[in-house]
Amino acid sequence: MSGTISTKKSTSTTRMTRRECLQTAAAAGAAVLAPTIVPASALGRGAAVAPSERIVLGAIGIGSRGEFDLGWMLPEKDVQFVAICDVRKERREHVKKLVDKKYGNSDCKMYADMREFLATGSDIDALLIATGDRWHALATIMAMRAGKDVYSEKPSCMTIAEGRAVVQTARRYGRIYQTGTQRLSEANFVAAIELARTGRLGKVHTARAHIAPWDAADMNHSWLPGEPQPPKEEVDWDTWLGPCPWRPYNSAYIHGNWRGHYDFHTSCVGEWGAHTFAQSQAGIDALNTSAIEYRYVKNDTGDGMVTKFANGVQMILQRDGWHGSCGMKFEGTDGWVTIADGFEKPEVSSPSLLADADKLVAEYMERTKCPMNHVRNFFDCVKDRRPTVANPEVMHRTMSTVHAANICMWLKRDMHYDPVKEEFLNDAEANRLRSRAQREPWII
Amino acid sequence: MFRTLVSLTVLTLLTAAATPSYGQKPQASPKDEEAKLIAVLKSDAPRKAKADACRELARVGTRESVAPLAALLCNEELSHMARYGLEPIPDPAVDTALRDTLEKVKGRLLVGVIGSIGVRRDPKAVAPLVKRLDDPDPEVVQAAARALGRIGTIDAVAPLEKALSSTAQANRIAVSEGLFRCADVLRAQGQRKEAQAIYEQLGSAQVPEYVKTGAKHAEQAMQPRTR
Repeated sequence: MSGTISTKKSTSTTRMTRRECLQTAAAAGAAVLAPTIVPASALGRGAAVAPSERIVLGAIGIGSRGEFDLGWMLPEKDVQFVAICDVRKERREHVKKLVDKKYGNSDCKMYADMREFLATGSDIDALLIATGDRWHALATIMAMRAGKDVYSEKPSCMTIAEGRAVVQTARRYGRIYQTGTQRLSEANFVAAIELARTGRLGKVHTARAHIAPWDAADMNHSWLPGEPQPPKEEVDWDTWLGPCPWRPYNSAYIHGNWRGHYDFHTSCVGEWGAHTFAQSQAGIDALNTSAIEYRYVKNDTGDGMVTKFANGVQMILQRDGWHGSCGMKFEGTDGWVTIADGFEKPEVSSPSLLADADKLVAEYMERTKCPMNHVRNFFDCVKDRRPTVANPEVMHRTMSTVHAANICMWLKRDMHYDPVKEEFLNDAEANRLRSRAQREPWII
Repeated sequence: MFRTLVSLTVLTLLTAAATPSYGQKPQASPKDEEAKLIAVLKSDAPRKAKADACRELARVGTRESVAPLAALLCNEELSHMARYGLEPIPDPAVDTALRDTLEKVKGRLLVGVIGSIGVRRDPKAVAPLVKRLDDPDPEVVQAAARALGRIGTIDAVAPLEKALSSTAQANRIAVSEGLFRCADVLRAQGQRKEAQAIYEQLGSAQVPEYVKTGAKHAEQAMQPRTR
């Protein structure tokens, strides 16, 4: 059932959509064909899926990365995007234009205030959250408390405490959540993960995780020079800052130059570690825990830091030497495998390791019920009410490794972390950095 | 003019010495470091310097820092950074200072102070927070409900349960959140019956269906598993 009905015109260039069909039928008094009240969720163009099966989607904070995500989500036949909430007028209007063009209508609603959006958007099932890092966890928590399922861009929390709060909120309200570590749903990466996880490399003793090569681990505490603040309608600067300490407006921040600032960013370690630690921890079966040891390295990037997991496997942070971004490598007693975005397929110590790569991927898909499409996995789980591959616990545990590595670099000493108590051992100063006081009124 | 320049230069030097980034750990002893940071707070240093000092005191502050930080809690510009400095300091003087401030601030600053009390889980704050469940400002009510939940003592439960049926619709999710948090705390302390009673209450309350379902699942998860 396509959801569209052919008309005479359709033989040439146009087809009647479900919406048009319902409207035409209702206008003609065809009560048998059309319900008395047409639900808002039914009024979408190009719907190939029954309205009751459709996921009504909205978004909070759509910059360039969010637009990429949106381009990935909009083609899904069972997804209907209905509203954008952004503190920047330019972004609200841009997304509306993009979405309205896709659906051939002018229905996409715009909101500037997240609380108003969450209070009024009761028909929305799920939200894409693609703000800057500072808002990911807080917006996620607010959305889940409002009954929404959430796909959040990474890095999905600024502190260990925020990560735990996301886990608790999802559990309390039964919400489905996926963090944007999309390589957990890409065949090349999955093949490498499964080669390690299933013992084909022998006993894995080392994982190597790529960290972003353009940033430092040391963070910037300076303020950019203040500029005249735009009208709230154009840019709501106070809300843009959200839970972070106040600072004067500078347009560079809202155009992406918030990266590198301690208040807004999780450093080069978080930038790609959010991906590569998750990938590495998947391969060494450690997605339900965090590294327990962090060895400080005397540089400003974290390159070469050795972390260790309770199962004895070490994970080394590595900045260079990869073919492409977000690389990882597993080294075992019987061989190794490495993959990054630039590879056509995983590189391995012996070609025989790749002989059954397709089978490994198929088994992973069967085991996790995860197709090799990260957003599809999210939408399937929204429908089936089951955990995603990058669920809150996966996000929190892998981001805890990120945060602990950062704290190790900031305090310039070795760290020991207890993933059960979620605290550093014998290090009160490090424990103080597990959370940050949030600026009022954005307190979770 | 000259005096202003000298004053600014001295302040800049003082600030630079007192507020290193985490990546530039100072050679000074923690006590000396703290003293320098406190001096910045007490000076007429600009907002940025004081904000930096608050952030550093979050890492190294002791009882000595509590009064200078607490003095900023009513300051519109620096209240948040004062809380930023105070929240992680492991000294009961912080709790006293935050409780004392409840009567001195309103609106957003009050929401912030209530939030910090919740983070610190101060059981002596239950009574003053319960009073805020009837505040006309919904943000204050919601902050109080969540903070009471974080504290999670048994005397926080009944007022939250009462508020669940009496508070405005817009506050009910926050009150539910407070009760979920209480249940988590009580369950972790082995007070299973009390936790279970909270889930039962939430499961039949006038709250959205997903809240009820969450409470029912939590209650079921507490049942002993049978084969």
